[in-house]
Amino acid sequence: MTTFEPGDRVRVRPADKPGHVRTPAYLRGKAGWVDSTLGEFRNPEDLAYGLCGAPERHLYKVGFRQADVWSDYEGPADDRLYADIYEQWLEPDRGGTA
Amino acid sequence: MTGVHDLGGSPGGPVDKSQHEIEDWERLADAVTIALDIKGLKTTDEHRRAIEGLENYLNLSYYERWVAATEKLLVEKGILTREEVDERSAEMKRRWGGA
Repeated sequence: MTTFEPGDRVRVRPADKPGHVRTPAYLRGKAGWVDSTLGEFRNPEDLAYGLCGAPERHLYKVGFRQADVWSDYEGPADDRLYADIYEQWLEPDRGGTA
Repeated sequence: MTGVHDLGGSPGGPVDKSQHEIEDWERLADAVTIALDIKGLKTTDEHRRAIEGLENYLNLSYYERWVAATEKLLVEKGILTREEVDERSAEMKRRWGGA
């Protein structure tokens, strides 16, 4: 069972995890939505240190409005950005500003 | 902490889209790195982490990063020592007359 379903509003955790991370800094703390589920995979942030990477984590394709990511974005209002983000980097978005 | 590689959104100026011929050492760097994966001696995820941790990351080209990270992993795992790598490197330099 996945933690999130397509259409769910999510926010990328603003965490500042040390070491190898697969979530780009510019998305941390930003709000978007789950576009689709991409499957379960061993955690690459652990695999990077030679660990087994278990348990497998859900990976999601998450969409963001470009204007929500870049404060000075000047492109069309409906421009979007998509990123693959693991479940441990996501939390439900309860509203508020990005 | 943001890794040195994590540059998305930073001002970086125009993108250099010029191409260059792939050199023999670059093909070799690719082949050796992938062969080590296939042999189960390292993984892509470890290699990526090692690349991101290179102190001189910003001064290295793409395959220079591959080579430096592969060396770092082999030493980290105790498969080769830094001295063995340096010795072999010096021997190659003598043999081929490189600077």
